[in-house]
Amino acid sequence: MSSFPLGDRGPSSMPAILRPPAILIVTALLFGLAALAVPRFGTLGNIENVLRIAAILGIVACGQAIVVILAGIEFSFGASAALASVVIVMALPATGVVGAFLLGGLLIVAIGMVNGLLVARFSVPPVIATLGMLMIASGLAAWLAGGLPIDAPPSDTFSWPARGRVLGIPVPILIAAAAFTLLHVLLARSRLGRGWYLVGANATAARLAGLSVPRLVFSGYAVAGLFCALGAVILTSRVASGQPMLAPNLPFETIAACAVGGLPLGGGRGNVLQVVCGVLIVAMLNNIVVLLNLPTAYQLILLGTLVVTAVLLQRDWAFLGQAVRLLTNGRRG
Amino acid sequence: MNGELPMTIEPAIALAMRDIAKRYGATCALRSADLTLRTGRVHALLGENGAGKSTLVKIIVGAVKPDSGSVALAGRPVAFRSVAEAIAAGIVPIYQHLSLFPELSVLDNLSAFQLAAGRAGLSRKALVPRDEARAWLTRVGLDLDLDRPVSLLSLGERQLLEIARGVGRNCRILVLDEPTAALNGAEAERLFAVVRDLCAGGAAVLFISHKFDEIERLADEVTVLRDGATVIDAAPIGRHDRATLVKAMLGMQVEHEHRSGSAQAEPALVATGVRVAAGQPLDLAVRAGEIVGLAGLVGSGALAIAATMAGAAAGRGEISVGQERFAVGDRREAVRLGVAYVPADRHAEGLFPPVSAIGNASASALARFSTRGILGKARERSAIEPLLRRLYLHPARPDAEAASFSGGNQQKLLIARCLALPNLRALVLLEPTRGVDVAARAMIHRAIIEMARTGVAVLIASSDLDELTALCDRYLVVRDGAIAQELPGAASTEAIMAALAGKAAA
Repeated sequence: MSSFPLGDRGPSSMPAILRPPAILIVTALLFGLAALAVPRFGTLGNIENVLRIAAILGIVACGQAIVVILAGIEFSFGASAALASVVIVMALPATGVVGAFLLGGLLIVAIGMVNGLLVARFSVPPVIATLGMLMIASGLAAWLAGGLPIDAPPSDTFSWPARGRVLGIPVPILIAAAAFTLLHVLLARSRLGRGWYLVGANATAARLAGLSVPRLVFSGYAVAGLFCALGAVILTSRVASGQPMLAPNLPFETIAACAVGGLPLGGGRGNVLQVVCGVLIVAMLNNIVVLLNLPTAYQLILLGTLVVTAVLLQRDWAFLGQAVRLLTNGRRG
Repeated sequence: MNGELPMTIEPAIALAMRDIAKRYGATCALRSADLTLRTGRVHALLGENGAGKSTLVKIIVGAVKPDSGSVALAGRPVAFRSVAEAIAAGIVPIYQHLSLFPELSVLDNLSAFQLAAGRAGLSRKALVPRDEARAWLTRVGLDLDLDRPVSLLSLGERQLLEIARGVGRNCRILVLDEPTAALNGAEAERLFAVVRDLCAGGAAVLFISHKFDEIERLADEVTVLRDGATVIDAAPIGRHDRATLVKAMLGMQVEHEHRSGSAQAEPALVATGVRVAAGQPLDLAVRAGEIVGLAGLVGSGALAIAATMAGAAAGRGEISVGQERFAVGDRREAVRLGVAYVPADRHAEGLFPPVSAIGNASASALARFSTRGILGKARERSAIEPLLRRLYLHPARPDAEAASFSGGNQQKLLIARCLALPNLRALVLLEPTRGVDVAARAMIHRAIIEMARTGVAVLIASSDLDELTALCDRYLVVRDGAIAQELPGAASTEAIMAALAGKAAA
């Protein structure tokens, strides 16, 4: 048996090969434009700053990506991170720093498991299940903290996840690199990851092919919780306090990163490179808003526009052409 | 214009498409397609899956724009920018997958185009007047309560309703894409009568079907597409015999294989007293190497029985596979025991559209390619690629998304998924070649026979009697949710048909 014969019409697999670099090019273009047009964007200090922001966002986006590939969506990340930060700071005197971080992390994994259980076993739509968890976790955090942030006593161990360096590289960036590597292994090399793609692509077909759909969905939300837990520990370490309103935009930013990276929100598709690029784009845009001294409210407006545009583009690249034609026709008319 | 009188009186040309080409990326769907529809005539469009029929139809109905070539409607060049424009110009598409709103009433559905064409703001005024709606229904031979929700109608009634909706407006060209695939005999007859009526009223009909019987009965002319080009252009239906048409479609002679003749003694897939969802207790045994056909009319329950045997449908009891057993409805355990399954609805239940061809074929056998949770991609590739090659997957791109293949080749992916099971012992197929072209059908039949010859127990539920008689060693006739009669492999098509209708039971 020879190797698989190629189609007779030339290298037809080109688009599939070209797709990931396309997003890379977009990311690089945005970086280049920003470096040229936005004052202070290209400085080393600012680039490290962008990467720090991108690191936390990226770690959590890894979890969002898994859920999105499963054709689901996670809204509870921000609220569960806030709840975890409050629990960590409150537990600190009793458990010590490491114990508190572990406790907070496990809490988020548990929330992910509840989401997974609701979606997998009880067929609750992901939007409803995770929105419900958002409200519950948010409420719990506010109730526990009494409405105000609780400060953690200053300590080097506590601030290490956010401010520490190993070999001169900031710890969050190292953790993000590890998270992306783990996500890549899960998605591209593991049986679990393949199962997620299949379930996201067609859950009925997956069941009939003999896959355990509930188990795959449950594990997806649980692993997503694990990624969020890593991000939440760094966030808590950075603010050195328990904050009931720690990162309200986290779910939206991670969904935006996935959508911008090109993951269809309908599930079944996506890779690590797309997530990394999506995260970098979102982080750079947020940074540009800050550097241009625009109100931070602009970040959300920009993000929303970005998500909708990204989804439109995914569905139909011809949309770009249509938009251009519409604009040019408008000018002529 | 040229002042020359026609030799014979030909009906006016309703639609002329010349030298149409369309590429999708590197794939050339149409190279040079011609199509001429005349008013008052039924025109059959033939071609294997992937020949470009769907693309041509999409161009006609305004869903896709051609890269080059000309389209003229009644002599005037047109370039539809949307389906709405095509509908407004009198082109009425009727698809295999119905486009009705099941929760809405008959009247609402009849008014759908009006609602779509109107400005925002729904009002009762946007609905078609009830008298007019009733007249439309009468034209297609329907007598329905206008306020009944469409979900309560039969499949045949829904299809006629869809036609009524289309012809209620000015219908100049009716496009029927495999309209009878899901219909029973009586419903199909009714549809044909309506089509003839419309023709007599001056409409041109484009009829796409894989069933030669229907084409010969209904069509006046035929066009054959092969590999994106027209190879037979608007020939009168009597001019070519079936063999010539098939040869034109394939560019070669199809090879026919018949029966495995490999049935062994020991039963391999056995149900005893199993409760199927419908309620009747089920006793059924398929021997190793045997191909058993479940024959039943639409709604007889034959599909449900087959699905139950594969663990794909709910019920009560156990099914044994050799010495082992699985609980009815436990599809996962059934797969572990080597029971492969091809569902009836490829898109809803079988395919993973965004996943590669390889990923689709390996879905049931991931355990075989994994060690400690890590997927051996090289192992997967080297096991699956030969299967795809054996089935002549076309185009031969194992890494392309399943969605990019034609229907017949998508079906091959589902067959490959069965072949990939490491301990394949039983194979249950529902409508294995529905909507599949002649070449893919031959390939799939050959694969089924080969599997039977290696000792796999095969159970096929199909509404296509030609398919069953080409393959089966034994027939089980299903009526009212139960196996009513058994017939030997030698039984004639007529005998099976009589049994289906319940005549031979007396």
